[in-house]
Amino acid sequence: MKKFTLIILALITLISCKDDDVNVGIVNLEFKNNINNDAINLNTISYTNLSNETYTVSELKYIISNIVLIKENGDEFIYPIADSYFVVNEEISSSKQISLSNINAGAYTKIRFGVGVDQSNYPLNEVANFIPTAEENGMLWSWSAGYKFLKFEGSFIPQGGTAGDFLLHVGSHGTALDNYKEITLDISNTITIGDGTTSNLSIQADISKIFDSTFTHSLEEKSDIQVDPDSEKIANNVQTMFTILTAN
Amino acid sequence: MIKNIGYIVFILLGAACSSEKDEYVPIDKNPKLEFTIPSNFPEPSYNVTLNPPTEKGFELGKKLFYDGRLSSDGVISCGFCHIQDFAFTHHTHIVSHGVNGALGTRNAQPLHNLAFMNEFTWDGAAIHLDLQPIIPITAEVEMNESFTGIIKKLEEQPEYVTLFGEAFEDQKINSENLLKALSQFMIMMISSNSKYDKIERSEGSVFTDNEAAGFELFTSKCASCHEGTLFTDQSYRNNGLPIDPEYNDIGRNRVTGLVSDLYKFKVPTLRNIELTFPYMHDGRLKTLKDVLDHYSDGMIDSETLDPEFKNPDGTIKGIPLTEEEKQQIISFLKTLTDDNFVNDNRFSEF
Repeated sequence: MKKFTLIILALITLISCKDDDVNVGIVNLEFKNNINNDAINLNTISYTNLSNETYTVSELKYIISNIVLIKENGDEFIYPIADSYFVVNEEISSSKQISLSNINAGAYTKIRFGVGVDQSNYPLNEVANFIPTAEENGMLWSWSAGYKFLKFEGSFIPQGGTAGDFLLHVGSHGTALDNYKEITLDISNTITIGDGTTSNLSIQADISKIFDSTFTHSLEEKSDIQVDPDSEKIANNVQTMFTILTAN
Repeated sequence: MIKNIGYIVFILLGAACSSEKDEYVPIDKNPKLEFTIPSNFPEPSYNVTLNPPTEKGFELGKKLFYDGRLSSDGVISCGFCHIQDFAFTHHTHIVSHGVNGALGTRNAQPLHNLAFMNEFTWDGAAIHLDLQPIIPITAEVEMNESFTGIIKKLEEQPEYVTLFGEAFEDQKINSENLLKALSQFMIMMISSNSKYDKIERSEGSVFTDNEAAGFELFTSKCASCHEGTLFTDQSYRNNGLPIDPEYNDIGRNRVTGLVSDLYKFKVPTLRNIELTFPYMHDGRLKTLKDVLDHYSDGMIDSETLDPEFKNPDGTIKGIPLTEEEKQQIISFLKTLTDDNFVNDNRFSEF
């Protein structure tokens, strides 16, 4: 009997020390950059915004960061911040697939993520290691030591006007204006992570909302937004453009 | 038998929870450096606990600071434009020089007491010291390099592999560690042993009559902006310089996009000001006398001219000063020169 107890004790000891390795699974995020529910087509297809301006898109990139999965009771699984910074580039399909591994088991009803780089993380959490990625993607404002959170460029024709190019680069303006935005989306079909499971979340970015959402932005009025106070309006619009298409 | 199992349980209890941490035998190969706040200084803005300077981190930061590999042509190091003899500025150049003879648009700022500054560069474009080097490293007219490029070059150097390994726990050559090492070097660059400091700390020095008169004038006429022992309130202001059409430098407006920030530049510290000529953001003024002449007679009006320089009726007041008063202020400013700092070989290239 004593022998049996000791063996049990030994087993419990071994198992209890495994607490660190709780069951984990994978969550794949897919970002779909759409206009009118269709995938955007770079350079070729013209779209029309609410200011009656037609436009084509030549470049679309944005930074996704600080991904957090939230359970119904509000408990959060914070994805390791150092590994949580991505550039979504419409031109590169692999950049639109973000695979998050080692997600703790559980049923998640919400996802939260940021667009951009939050200033509270600047000296912390190894976020500086995102610099080379941002640099390679042209998402760094070299003269301002800051990131472009959104890079959205193309051509447009205003109603009855002549064609021109547009260029929207949105980031924070030093300490004067923080354009980092967080987005929380409800996952209508709860995703349940178990040991070794893979869940998929398809997230739509409705690109037309960059012009037309909380604010309406006419390109004829301003086609070049780099460091411009109007970037705040664009950042607020970007915050509204994401929805979950499917979750399984 | 039971006894034997007892032993096994014991061993399991011991082994099951062991981790690398238990096996790690710390060898203090990389002692921390003392970061001492001078008694007449405020608390630092830099959170030293997040990046405490160590012997190896500092050594690595210094090596990087003086290494041309941080630039695309292998020549322009940080130390190229920030020369210790001139309190880490550049004399012979009005504006900074970059790779392949490229010219910048602004005058290199002195480097000292950076741990006490909130924002960096003339327009506050860097909001954290760890991020500041991104600007000169990647700017085409300065070092014109990429972090990817630098990391690749450093990985090829065995001495850097060793130094990064010794300086940082994760031993990695990456942008985080590169920037942290540079910051460790730069935050240690404290200039606090000028004659003025010794007077402020009651260490036995006294002003001459001229210096004392200058200090009094300075306190009443300059210290509202060049405030406190750091001699800057760290704000951005338009001090009425005529716009140089060659650069048309819009100042802080470039960072904020606000019309109200047009032509505003950071109020610079005045420590070591005797050594850091030429003056102003574009190095247009050669001497301290030129600077005071500007304040007394040279300002031009614009929408954003600082209210400090205006009369209640909106006309330009500037800073009225007699020639004698100017000489007295200059005498005082020279008490801010810290010879110990410019000769401190901890910061020297060789």
